[in-house]
Amino acid sequence: MTTEYENKGHTAVADTDDVVLEVSDLSVTFPSDDGPLPAVRQVSYKVRRGEALGIVGESGSGKSVTSMAIMGLLPRNAKVEGSARLLGREIIGLDDKRISEVRGQRIAMIFQDPLTSLNPVYTVGYQIAEAVHAHRKVSRKEALARALELLEIVGIPSPEQRLKQYPHELSGGMRQRVVIAIAMANDPDVIIADEPTTALDVTVQAQVLDALQRARRETGAALVLITHDLGVVAGQVDRVGVMYAGRIMEMGSVEEVFYRPRMPYALGLLGSLPRLDGDRGDRLTPILGAPPSLRDLPSGCGFAPRCPMARDRCHEEEPRLLLVEEGEERRPAGEGEVDLHSAACHFSEELIEVDATDLFKVTSVDTEGAESVAEVERAEALVSEARDGYLDEDGAAETADTSAEPEILLRADHLVKHFPIRSKGLLRRKVGAVQAVSGVSLDLRERETLALVGESGCGKSTTARLLLNLIRLTSGEVSYRGRPIQGLSDRRMRPLRKDLQLVFQDPFASLDPRMTVTDIIAEPMRIHGSGRQDAGRRVKELLELVGLNPEHGSRYPHEFSGGQRQRIGVARALSLNPKVLVLDEPVSALDVSIQAGVINLLEDLQDELGLSYLFVSHDLSVVKHIADRVAVMYLGGIVETATTEQLFSAPAHPYTQALISAIPLPDPVKERTRERIIVTGDIPSPADPPSGCRFRTRCPKFAGELSEAERTKCVEEPPELRDRGTGHQDACHYSQAVELI
Amino acid sequence: MLVYTMRRVLGALPVLVLASILTFVMIDVSGDPLADIRMAQPPPTEEVLQQAEERLYLDRSMPERYWLWVTGIGGNGDIGLLQGEFGPSTQGPHYDIGAAIAERLWTTLRLVGAAMVFALGLAIITGVISALRQYSKLDYTLTFVGFLALALPTFWFAGIMQAAGVKFNQLVGDQIFATIGDGRFRAEGAPLWDQFLNAFAHMALPTIVLMLISFASWSRYQRTSMLEVMNSDYVRLARAKGLRNHTVIRRHALRTALIPLTTVVAIGVAGVIDGAILTEVVFQWRGLGDFFITAVDNNDSFALMGWLLLSGTIVILANLVADLLYAVLDPRIRYE
Repeated sequence: MTTEYENKGHTAVADTDDVVLEVSDLSVTFPSDDGPLPAVRQVSYKVRRGEALGIVGESGSGKSVTSMAIMGLLPRNAKVEGSARLLGREIIGLDDKRISEVRGQRIAMIFQDPLTSLNPVYTVGYQIAEAVHAHRKVSRKEALARALELLEIVGIPSPEQRLKQYPHELSGGMRQRVVIAIAMANDPDVIIADEPTTALDVTVQAQVLDALQRARRETGAALVLITHDLGVVAGQVDRVGVMYAGRIMEMGSVEEVFYRPRMPYALGLLGSLPRLDGDRGDRLTPILGAPPSLRDLPSGCGFAPRCPMARDRCHEEEPRLLLVEEGEERRPAGEGEVDLHSAACHFSEELIEVDATDLFKVTSVDTEGAESVAEVERAEALVSEARDGYLDEDGAAETADTSAEPEILLRADHLVKHFPIRSKGLLRRKVGAVQAVSGVSLDLRERETLALVGESGCGKSTTARLLLNLIRLTSGEVSYRGRPIQGLSDRRMRPLRKDLQLVFQDPFASLDPRMTVTDIIAEPMRIHGSGRQDAGRRVKELLELVGLNPEHGSRYPHEFSGGQRQRIGVARALSLNPKVLVLDEPVSALDVSIQAGVINLLEDLQDELGLSYLFVSHDLSVVKHIADRVAVMYLGGIVETATTEQLFSAPAHPYTQALISAIPLPDPVKERTRERIIVTGDIPSPADPPSGCRFRTRCPKFAGELSEAERTKCVEEPPELRDRGTGHQDACHYSQAVELI
Repeated sequence: MLVYTMRRVLGALPVLVLASILTFVMIDVSGDPLADIRMAQPPPTEEVLQQAEERLYLDRSMPERYWLWVTGIGGNGDIGLLQGEFGPSTQGPHYDIGAAIAERLWTTLRLVGAAMVFALGLAIITGVISALRQYSKLDYTLTFVGFLALALPTFWFAGIMQAAGVKFNQLVGDQIFATIGDGRFRAEGAPLWDQFLNAFAHMALPTIVLMLISFASWSRYQRTSMLEVMNSDYVRLARAKGLRNHTVIRRHALRTALIPLTTVVAIGVAGVIDGAILTEVVFQWRGLGDFFITAVDNNDSFALMGWLLLSGTIVILANLVADLLYAVLDPRIRYE
């Protein structure tokens, strides 16, 4: 280690309360053809030794750019102003040689996407050892020994073998742990983690967060955790800063910010979040409008155009980040007041004891395009008109017999789908099969929402596609209103397609960029040869129905934001008056403040149009909010199915329990005190699933509680899905209901 | 790795067979090798024609001829690729196609090899510089030069270079550049330095002409692939580890950015062979290009077939090498 550097560090640390990283008035501007883009504006914060600071914000808020600026990793054309002092030493604007000494040694960074963070052509061991070599004069052998030790700390099984493997041989969660190992290689003082778990499944997220905690304990490093996930922040950090439009809008301890937000944006964010610990009846409050474009930031408060409290002063004068502590006058936090709560709002005191629903409007219309509350109200009036029109066409008879037992619309019986794996040779022999779906049975009733949840690769999307006969079944039966549809030709399937419609996950890829919105929405009608004359009127009605401005039909998809596009996708699906909508991760690509509006829309549409939803999702919080019944999938099979109430209050299958306890709650106290059931390892390959119970390789019960004889049953006998005295069906030999929330 | 190599080699064989069929059929149906004799004045006797047809195996059916061409079974000992014989020539019974190809192969390979090595080296250097200094004046200049080189027709540029070489020699008053011939035998037995000077004098201009097109497109590829890698997460992580800039570029960026170039270069071999024909004609080299032109002039089917199959084989081999190189460079390929 460079001694000169350490000495400098120590002398500086002596004053103030052991601050390791002090960012003050950091601004980043990118040049562009339309003039400079201020991505980060006067950001200041302090991080003390060993402390964890969270930075939350939606995409485009400047949270990642800030940390890249500190690390000196921004492209050369970015203009960085202000200062960042690491152990009292300025690190902004250092030349390559000097900043290289700091990076990796004093301050380390973890990036979002573990699949691309490691160089594909070098072994894992080489890449960790490289980090050691960069700062220490040690032999190759010593560096590798350190790499091995690091892999053990971050909890990678059989680390010795892993050292010799290439990144593509490791799963996403393991690769992220390798990145963490690299970050802690030289015992840094600060680790910046930029959305470290966003790309991962929840159970793997829990493992990675755990590894991150271990890394902190081991190195004593302070953590700056950048994320959009309020739940992760609640559980992992001591203090949190909320970023919006390139500025920090609110800063304080997590408890303060989460329980007593003093800035409308933070309040709105929390209100727009579907919560695992909330009631199903709770309505979400989307925030009006969309984040401002950096090109033309409002002159006053950046949030003013979206803020329901905004007054003249807000539009004229940019509020500073000032203390909001009771009994303190509003002034910037001084020396030694790092812990105190401050907010950048002129009217913070009005937010005492205010709920999100008091301030923000519960609405399902598109709030991204709206400029004012009046506009939203106008749109809402149009929506209800459009709904009446839609129902008229639908035929009023449908809604009459609501008292009778709801009819089963879609029924699946032992669905099996295997994708063949072929050899690479000339003959392309079949050498195995990916068992994507193995024996799934479910039924979807009229006017109900059935959620299919599970982690990536569990077969939930494949199941949805099988139900719509979009891919061929290997075996099993699907019927719609009692009529079998498996194996129907495309031509014979076509009349049924009117009733069964699909909304896709990616709002950007699912709309043809060369078609206008009107053409997109009218296309299903054209294909089915209906409504040719009044297609124009009908499209307008549908646009109103999904809360969009009906005048925008002649625009192209690229002129809309993600949430708006997803609404267009819903309008297209509704154009044929379907009975069933299959929603494949419809909100997972959207920011929370936008997601809330789309969820509200889906709920309203169901209530008023009498639709049935098959809701495919990995997000249990959203599912809890929207679903009537839930089926949990693991490795191609359903492991538990119950009403939403039962499933969340008394989950019986260990996987469901693990899944629920892995979802971070956006509530600091609950999140830190709740009981956790952690699963280890990754999902096994569906090409070679474990014998007996497929979950046993990761099952905490199997590993911890069961006796040898009981385990044999798990290994040999696949558990069937049935009620084992918990009031709902599960597929575990030793299921036991547990209360988790 | 061995299994992978074997599989790739075996995979190349059917392609080679297909290439031979295609070559044979294409040449066989286009033009009559005896057209010149038939048109001769005074007209040749029936007997002479028959003899010529027999000698060139034109009295047999097309599938028979193909079989004969490949195996030589049932021929007169002057045909059969598997026996190392390329077949009889229209350029006289004593013209041995195989020997002619062998003699000229070295001349052409020297030119093609030199052009490819220089094109590749220069392409990597300029591509990397362009990428590292994206949107700088240097980048724009190199981009302009690249597109200019792509737009220049080889035969035209070769002519210009030749004229320029002559002018240069006149100006200097000494023969620095030789603008005619390959000069293979000129410095035989001379001291090494003289041999080198001789080779340089003859090779400099044709090599520049031939390398230019490949250089231009390869350097564009290298720039794109380098830019992509420079913006990748793993390069950012390498920097975040505390590696110095030059180490990051060499070890993490360049190493991976070279992988896609192998494919491009392998495919580019065909283009270089193409260009070699024109270049050799302009600079009057007695290489395979000249051989090809002479064969076309004389309706010499077996010579053309031999030439086509040879260049086809070179392209297939180049692709095979690229495939194997890819497996060495990219660990993700090896186990598939």
